[in-house]
Amino acid sequence: MRAFEYANPATKEQAVGLLSNSWGETEVLAGGTDLISLMKDEVIAPKRLVNIKGITELHGIATNIKTGLRIGATATIQDLLDNAIVHRTFPALWDAAEGITSPQIRNMGTVGGDLCQRPRCWYYRGGYGLFAKTEKGDPLVPGGDNRYHAILGNSGPAYFVNPSSLAPALIAYGATFRVFGSSGKRDIPAEKFFLTPKSEGEREYDLKSNEILTEIIVPMAAGARGVTYEVRQKEALDWPLAAASVVVNLAAGKVRSARIVLGHVAPVPWRSQDAEAALVGHAIDEKTAQAAAEAAVKDASPLSRNGYKVQLARVAVKRAILAAAKGGVR
Amino acid sequence: MSASSRRASVDALDQLFAKAAPALNAQPGDLESVGGAIRVKSDPGKSLTWAQACGKLGGLPLTVRGKNPGPGNLISQGVGGIQMADVSVDIETGIVKMNRMVAVQDCGLIIDLKTAESQVYGALIMGICSALYEEKIMDQNTGKMLNPNMEFYKLAGIGDIGELMVHMMTGKGYDERGPIGLGEPPTVSPGAAISNAVANAVGVRVPYLPLTPDKVLAALEKKGGANHAGI
Repeated sequence: MRAFEYANPATKEQAVGLLSNSWGETEVLAGGTDLISLMKDEVIAPKRLVNIKGITELHGIATNIKTGLRIGATATIQDLLDNAIVHRTFPALWDAAEGITSPQIRNMGTVGGDLCQRPRCWYYRGGYGLFAKTEKGDPLVPGGDNRYHAILGNSGPAYFVNPSSLAPALIAYGATFRVFGSSGKRDIPAEKFFLTPKSEGEREYDLKSNEILTEIIVPMAAGARGVTYEVRQKEALDWPLAAASVVVNLAAGKVRSARIVLGHVAPVPWRSQDAEAALVGHAIDEKTAQAAAEAAVKDASPLSRNGYKVQLARVAVKRAILAAAKGGVR
Repeated sequence: MSASSRRASVDALDQLFAKAAPALNAQPGDLESVGGAIRVKSDPGKSLTWAQACGKLGGLPLTVRGKNPGPGNLISQGVGGIQMADVSVDIETGIVKMNRMVAVQDCGLIIDLKTAESQVYGALIMGICSALYEEKIMDQNTGKMLNPNMEFYKLAGIGDIGELMVHMMTGKGYDERGPIGLGEPPTVSPGAAISNAVANAVGVRVPYLPLTPDKVLAALEKKGGANHAGI
């Protein structure tokens, strides 16, 4: 790890003032569970870290019956799991938090950190850049070991998958992300926050290098049934091979509205409006859940070694829908 | 503790039984040493304290020398063991879950049963890891290892192990052969036992380790699309 300067601001205004206006110079430190390993592996070498854990207004989770759930960016994964409203009213979000099975990461890792963590692509982590290229500029992923890479939205140059556990559920609940920068605050729909970078120097989310994510607002989901289903090989901490968050509203036994968002299948959390359309107006059963699952992966174009992920994504969607019909409320 | 100190201790106790037996009107072979007393197995009321028993030794202390069998008598190979695995396979995802695993193992003379069993538990756990998870993934184009970390070089956690049962073979036919090896022998079988269990569960052999979802699904597909049966 390279030497760096450490800044410990008390307000978000101070924090933003300490951040550089170009990427790479400074990084935001919250739980540090991803950032520190990136620095140890010398994937990044920021000159200054800006710790935002000391900013009180970024802490905690609060509920307001009108405006909904407000999650501070530095609330931990464990804070989500311990919150009775999250457990009862936003089960898809609670399920997603539960999928992070390491107690250490649950207690250190933050909600904002989960949303802003960098891709786990092993070429990126091995020092070949976000687009994983050789020195000559040839892409390594299409002809390399891409077993964990994207099956959707993968026409390049980004082939990695978005690693966030919580993003699919937050998008399914129609959350808004609030960011703060030198020109004040901006509200971004969760779905629009995540971007597929097209050139080196772009990030995977709609943040400038001198902006910070401050809070997440989730509208109250009265009557909604929500489930997140992760296909993970291990019970112990393990990245999902595919995941799906489903939030449905039923009326007279039929689906009135649905939001279906897949995780770990594309460079962004992947909302499937085709799957939603396949479900709306129908009662949920094996057949309709399967039809929605097929619609979700209809456009999948697997790489050389990740064809199996199409099947896993299909299963994740089907099982999440069936579980939402049976439960999805607490 | 070494094998020779164990042999010396057992032989010394046998000699103490021989000295104490007349006082208890018993044969040396009928005695046992329990909780600081020497007593008759069939009649525990007949007993001597350790000090009383030692009083029967007479003027000279017991001096016993433990010796391992000499060359040619110490069998240092040919241990046997058997393992069985009980797994569940999710045929839609190809994910294999351990339910139970049983190991019966011989390693000649066991000096300390608890640590011997512990060695076999460890072998089962590492065997489950190599059967289901562990893989050194090398990149064909750069020659670099892609998973030099605990994130993608996967190891089982407690929830991935299932229930383990270990039975060590002891007694006649085992003990007199002296201590043999126990580090490697129980690591030989888990891959085969788990792979056999998976083949038995899904009706098709997955001829690779580790048994990852991609390989299990590919084998099922080859068999005839079993993975699409439920979806």
